[in-house]
Amino acid sequence: MTLTADAPKIDIVAPRRRRVGTAPAFAYLTVAPVLVLMVLIVGIPLLYSLYLSFNSTNPITKKWIFVGFANYSRVFQNADFWAALGRTAYFSVLAVVGTTVLGIIFALVLNQRFFGRGLLRSVVLIPWAMAPVSIGVLWSFIYAGNFGLLNGLLHDLGLGSLATAWFGDGFRALNLVAITQIWNQAPLTALMMLSALQSMPGNLHRAAILDGAGPVRRFFSITLPWLKSSLLFSTIVSTINALMTFDIIWIMTRGGPGAATTTLSWLGYVQSFQFLRFGEGAATLYLLTMLSLALAVLYFFVLSPKKPKPASEIPGKPVATIPRVRPAMVVIPPWNMRPLIHPTTQRNLTRVFFGIGVLAIFVWSFLPVAILIMISLSPPTDLIRTPPSVFPSSLTLENYRMVLMAEGTTSVQAQRVPVALFNSFVIGAIVSLINVALGTFAGYGFARYANRRFFAVSLWALLLTRMVPALTLVLPFFILFRSMGLIDTYLGVIIAYSTILMPLAAWMMKASFENLPASLERAAQIDGCSRWTMFIKVLVPIVRPGIIAAVIFCFLVSWNEFLFAMILTTTMKTQTIPVIIAGFLNQARFYEYGPMFAASVLAILPPIAIAFFFQRYLVQGALSGAVKG
Amino acid sequence: MSSINIAGLNKRYGQTHVLKGLDLSIKNGEFISFLGPSGCGKSTLLFCIAGLEEISDGSIRFDGREISDLGPRERNIALVFQDYALYPHMTVRDNIAFPLRQQKIDAATIAKQVAWAADVLGIQALLDRLPAALSGGQRQRVAVGRAIVRNPSVLLMDEPLSNLDASLRVHMRTEIRRLQKELGITVIFVTHDQEEAMVLSDRIAVMNNGVLQQFAAPMDVYSRPANRFVAGFIGSPQMNFLPGDLCGGAADHVVGVRPHDLKPGNGIANPFTLSGELVLVEPAGPFQFLDIAIGGHIVRATCTDIAGLSPGETITVGASPEALRYFNADTGARVSHSR
Repeated sequence: MTLTADAPKIDIVAPRRRRVGTAPAFAYLTVAPVLVLMVLIVGIPLLYSLYLSFNSTNPITKKWIFVGFANYSRVFQNADFWAALGRTAYFSVLAVVGTTVLGIIFALVLNQRFFGRGLLRSVVLIPWAMAPVSIGVLWSFIYAGNFGLLNGLLHDLGLGSLATAWFGDGFRALNLVAITQIWNQAPLTALMMLSALQSMPGNLHRAAILDGAGPVRRFFSITLPWLKSSLLFSTIVSTINALMTFDIIWIMTRGGPGAATTTLSWLGYVQSFQFLRFGEGAATLYLLTMLSLALAVLYFFVLSPKKPKPASEIPGKPVATIPRVRPAMVVIPPWNMRPLIHPTTQRNLTRVFFGIGVLAIFVWSFLPVAILIMISLSPPTDLIRTPPSVFPSSLTLENYRMVLMAEGTTSVQAQRVPVALFNSFVIGAIVSLINVALGTFAGYGFARYANRRFFAVSLWALLLTRMVPALTLVLPFFILFRSMGLIDTYLGVIIAYSTILMPLAAWMMKASFENLPASLERAAQIDGCSRWTMFIKVLVPIVRPGIIAAVIFCFLVSWNEFLFAMILTTTMKTQTIPVIIAGFLNQARFYEYGPMFAASVLAILPPIAIAFFFQRYLVQGALSGAVKG
Repeated sequence: MSSINIAGLNKRYGQTHVLKGLDLSIKNGEFISFLGPSGCGKSTLLFCIAGLEEISDGSIRFDGREISDLGPRERNIALVFQDYALYPHMTVRDNIAFPLRQQKIDAATIAKQVAWAADVLGIQALLDRLPAALSGGQRQRVAVGRAIVRNPSVLLMDEPLSNLDASLRVHMRTEIRRLQKELGITVIFVTHDQEEAMVLSDRIAVMNNGVLQQFAAPMDVYSRPANRFVAGFIGSPQMNFLPGDLCGGAADHVVGVRPHDLKPGNGIANPFTLSGELVLVEPAGPFQFLDIAIGGHIVRATCTDIAGLSPGETITVGASPEALRYFNADTGARVSHSR
């Protein structure tokens, strides 16, 4: 059949193939770009690094020799590996338990109604929205040996004798890094728990009160079972995040003292990028990937709730066909429960404890940030006072002048800050826009055709990429980009960031489209829209809040990213702000601490602004894109 | 099983006065409905009795004992929620046993009592299912089972039938009434459905805007409404209200007549007649509703035979004088007939 362009369209009743049970081509088109790109930027590098793990490479001669499983057997014979595995296990258990317990407590408090709840919800998010690099800088200075803030506080309190080099002891250092990880991750768990709590019918607790259950009993009998499926996801997420902790270790301890904080991810990094033993490094990182996958599967089977059979499948037993003895009513003795404390006293006590809890959460979340801001406003000489003190001798904008106007400083690193902020901003903007645009299309396809096998399987594949540590990808990227000339280019960084953001954006947009009623699409099609116009003219305007949330969330992730940027950039042409902050530490000149803290504060400003002004979007991102399964 | 005395009960949320000086006295073993439009405060009153809401002032006594200071756990009441509030992760058996377990009752007694409740409600076959595997009506029964299992002194029900479909609702309300008779328990039943309240209750407390309008037996409320609000709220279709002067009465009166009392024809016994244009005929099975335009008002009447009636015609309808109710046009209070 041929149609000339200007001929009137005639409906020709041609025998068309029935499309029962298949998704329209449009659905495949929406997900195609994301899937193709993910294969290119995640699939190929992963295969490459898998291949790498079977080879022995020589960085100088650039010769590759296929060695089979020799790298793996070497890793398994290496005592360092087992030690690192043990440390990783200890660190992860501590971090996951701490994150979960603290997250649940936060959520329980934030779910109550009290004055200033909205503010506290924003404040609680700050530690999680901050760049891990800034977190590392902040907490290293709190624990620092001679001049650290904790020691300063002890001196101020007259307890100078307790001051010590907090990272001096290996085991203590590992615990302190774990606490920092908890500080960073607890808000995410809190968010997930809070959203689960809010979906809980209020009458459930009322019913339990009437049934005579006290607050503790209600928590364990009603609340905790309700949270179970959310706990599954939050535990998987916090476990993966703990296993892959890298940024804060890089900043705080660099695996030391000795090897006390050398976890698997740090070991893989050191093997790959310091000893340049790519094969062995790749093998270690692959083992880490397998570990996180295995744990996710394990959790899933242990924690996932059993699905009840639908009502119709169970035939009801015929009742009353056989004559039977009717059970008799038991007269329950009147229940004389006398409370130990008078109800009014109890109410007042609850109020006091609750107030203390609110205050504690505020201090825990905000005080360290306030301290970071305060240090950035103190003269650099304050930071190396003897004896140390937490009170600044004076307040000054000197540090900011150094990093923003490059005035009165000889520091090369400080002069790089404005460019780095610019780089971070440009890269963040480009990478968020590209990925959210692609993710919007893919999200539609995944949301509407989730029950088709092709879409379900590719969706799971996307989710699995979240369990691949960035470290596993950065090694093949480094080697491939070096040969392609992509090191130290915007394009290289953008490709690397897309490996994280593309699945994220697709997940978030899928959740947005899932909330749209299917009747909307049908209405648009009946009103004469093609699928394309329906998508652009009807659906996209409706999911706009979801798109904004995805852009903000992707920007934040990109802004905070450290590992890819550190490995794949080399000059200030492309270096982002976390890399520059980390660079201050390499220079190790005391008087540069001032500019470093000023740069750290500048780096956390966008996250803080987002936590306060776009809290809703941030929460949406955390709950849908990053987590939902 | 208790009697309940509520006196001078007020409930305020900040500036909002939700319950305004309520006085109610409920006898032991009575079935009472709180009836009113949504937002009238009936559920709030129920929650105040349950102890889930604190009262601002006034008193609530069970069997003469002041309980308004007590927590809900100490009042020995049970509540069936509108959404049933079954614990989703517990089987039916555990749901029903839960209140008994909180009272530290021995396992054998719990098993006996659960068996009794299941038998009374006919849910023996469901005991090992989770709530998600139950239909709406089954969930309803389980919720009632959880409520009666510990012999509460008062059983409170917050619109328990509103989530069921129409036929099941009719069936369940019969069951609830049977159960209440069987157990002899005091029940307070909150509803916005006047038919439900009429069928179930020994007495109905009609509420509006936090004020008790009338507290009387169903037929009293129906035939001797205390005021215009009660007259309009009870009975379906709604009572017709006409300005007094339109019907040859005093101008400061409103005349109310129920559609079922208003029939075509100006028969001998009907000195009260109205004439107007027939606008619409609505068949409702055994009878038809007639919408008649009279002096700018639409008046609804009923007839059993519409032969010879078609819209657009002028029609005369009439009612016996006993069927007429008179209300003060300003206060809405019912007044005796005066010419």
